[in-house]
Amino acid sequence: MSDGLIIDQLKKNQILDLLQEGKRVDGRQFDEPRKLTIDIGVIPKAEGSARARLGDTEVVAGVKVQPERPFPDTGDKGMLICTAEILPIAHPSAETGPPQPPVVELARVTDRGIRESGMLDMKQLVLEKDKSVIGIFCDNAVTDHDGNLFDACSYASTAAINSCKIPKYEMQDEKPVKIEGEFTEPPLTTLPVSVTMAKIGGFILVDPTIEEWGIMDARITITSNSDGNVVALQKGGSDGFTQEELIKCAELSIKVGSKIREIIKQSK
Amino acid sequence: MGGRDTDIVLLDENGIRCDGRKVNETRKVTIKAGVLKNANGSAYIEFGDNKILVGVYGPRDVHPKHMSDTDTGILRCRYHMAPFSVGERKNPAPSRREVEISKVIKEALEPAVMLKEFPRTAVDVYMEVLQADGGTRCAALTGASVALADAGIPMRDLVAGCAAGKAADAVILDVNNEEDQAGQADLPIGYMPNLKKITLLQLDGVLTPEEYKQCIEIGIDGCNQVYEIQKKALQDKFFASGEKQ
Amino acid sequence: MSTERKRHVIPGETITSGPYRAEQNTIQVGDSIVSTIVGLSDVRDESVRVIPLTGGYMPKDDDLVIGKIVSHSSLSWTANINSCYVGMLPASDVFGRDYSSSSDDMNAKLSKGDLIAARIVNADMTRDPLITISGRELGKIDSGELVKISPNKVPRLIGKRGSMIQMIESSTNSQVTIGQNGLLVVSSEDPNGLLKAIQAIELIEEQAHVANLTDQVKEMLESKSE
Repeated sequence: MSDGLIIDQLKKNQILDLLQEGKRVDGRQFDEPRKLTIDIGVIPKAEGSARARLGDTEVVAGVKVQPERPFPDTGDKGMLICTAEILPIAHPSAETGPPQPPVVELARVTDRGIRESGMLDMKQLVLEKDKSVIGIFCDNAVTDHDGNLFDACSYASTAAINSCKIPKYEMQDEKPVKIEGEFTEPPLTTLPVSVTMAKIGGFILVDPTIEEWGIMDARITITSNSDGNVVALQKGGSDGFTQEELIKCAELSIKVGSKIREIIKQSK
Repeated sequence: MGGRDTDIVLLDENGIRCDGRKVNETRKVTIKAGVLKNANGSAYIEFGDNKILVGVYGPRDVHPKHMSDTDTGILRCRYHMAPFSVGERKNPAPSRREVEISKVIKEALEPAVMLKEFPRTAVDVYMEVLQADGGTRCAALTGASVALADAGIPMRDLVAGCAAGKAADAVILDVNNEEDQAGQADLPIGYMPNLKKITLLQLDGVLTPEEYKQCIEIGIDGCNQVYEIQKKALQDKFFASGEKQ
Repeated sequence: MSTERKRHVIPGETITSGPYRAEQNTIQVGDSIVSTIVGLSDVRDESVRVIPLTGGYMPKDDDLVIGKIVSHSSLSWTANINSCYVGMLPASDVFGRDYSSSSDDMNAKLSKGDLIAARIVNADMTRDPLITISGRELGKIDSGELVKISPNKVPRLIGKRGSMIQMIESSTNSQVTIGQNGLLVVSSEDPNGLLKAIQAIELIEEQAHVANLTDQVKEMLESKSE
């Protein structure tokens, strides 16, 4: 997305010089993410919602729950689909119209990070096997872009799903009917948290700002769950990682991820 | 629209509406100017349970170049509802309703925005509905005016929005979602309060000529009330001396 | 010959009525003068204007601006000057009138991302404004930190007869090149001085509308840096 960004040469040199001295432009350590605040319930009419502010990046995630026909090959499981959109208000270069590849990647990585972690026990979201299941949609809207949308969407989604309420449904005449005023807790099993690292001039930096994103050589997003297991990975950018770097990145993401997990837990 | 049988009492014997308001009362409106870091101008508006975020970019370069006009700047508006903003999840792709509302709001703002000051550029207004509860186009228009002023785009006047309507045979001000679904008429209005001109006007429903006159009158009154909130939002951001923003 | 006190105004608000000329950021509506932006109204003897508190940069002839090169053709460079209009720097400005330059030559002198101090030569809005870098204190900027402020805060940053910026420069041992377009380059041999200078600039941007700003900045500069 920042592929349209021109970081001026002066800034580029400044960032690289500081890195050689072990410093980042905003004074953070290499393994330090920006300040994260999470507010849940910001969209009261949705079944769940959360606003995540990671530095100056801001994402609003809304959870909608409704009965759906199950996928043909998984009639015994509910549905969980995450999407992400960079709203045109978020950045001067954000476009309207059909999503460009970087936005499609953002949406799919966010979706995999939540789904592959097994965050929700989908077997508990069935109303009638092969006929009617509960569908959970978590839609992320990026409202302000200052880099690292992968993590901001991950945190907003996890917080929103973690705090959502599933309406109660009853099958009447083969159709699911909502029972007004009755809700259940979501069948949570774990809290997935992603940590994105940028590789710049051989250094690994956690939670890149939009400027660091604009000059990075490569990046990797690693999602871990509450047990400290790795559940999703995405490498991007035009350079490569060495084996040692990849192992270091995984360790970093589990370490940093567990602190972020606490913040998400506190938000409920 | 119009007159669906409902259990909700739209107007009781004391003249109180389903959400506790009187017939000529608007819902609570709050506006904050300058809420986004990247946008040139922005505003967040809560109009009853509507929650709308507006961002403005511009004047800025137009791409592709052939869309620009050598004599004047152009105004581009996008009204968009988030999938989680309504009762049943909405597909993120723009619907025909959103396309129409975008156009209607653009034409409501054009009389106010002084586009000739910026030839060959565009001013982009993006309105994102995060939560909808009836009257979103008026709320979006209201927020858009504040965001444009926040961005420093020269305007002849602000544009304030408020809908009038009819429910349970009574003319009402500021139609909420239940009243829109089950009521008899919905008349959204956009109004320039100093120049005293209506720049947005639509009707969905049936009104007698007398009711139509009353709706316009009560609607303008509502717009004037909303204008005071727009003024306050700009004053709070720009004129609060000694206070850190 | 009375003049009204400066007043806060928003778009559409009437400033005054009477035989005044509507100047910057105002229009005449009937016999009233109306503001078109958020700002401070200024009623003088024969004219009314509004000093803007918001808005981007509009190029004006002779303004000194900081620009960032974004591209070039064989005849000119295009520079982002923090405005809705881009600055055009003709190759002849750098190479001389008769030089016929190839792409390599162009890139060697100024390439994408380079910062320049330039002057607006011709700000005619029907085409992109022409800029020049030949002149005293103009040209490519090699070092220093780029800081961006709102263009309408620049007068406050400069101060009466340069008093504010001079106070910052001398107290922090730094040099500040100020572009009228809100872009500035701050350089200093002393990294702490550099930081302090930037903090002072940010303070001015935040508190520009406050009356005792000069005292606030003075206090900030004199305090032990943290």
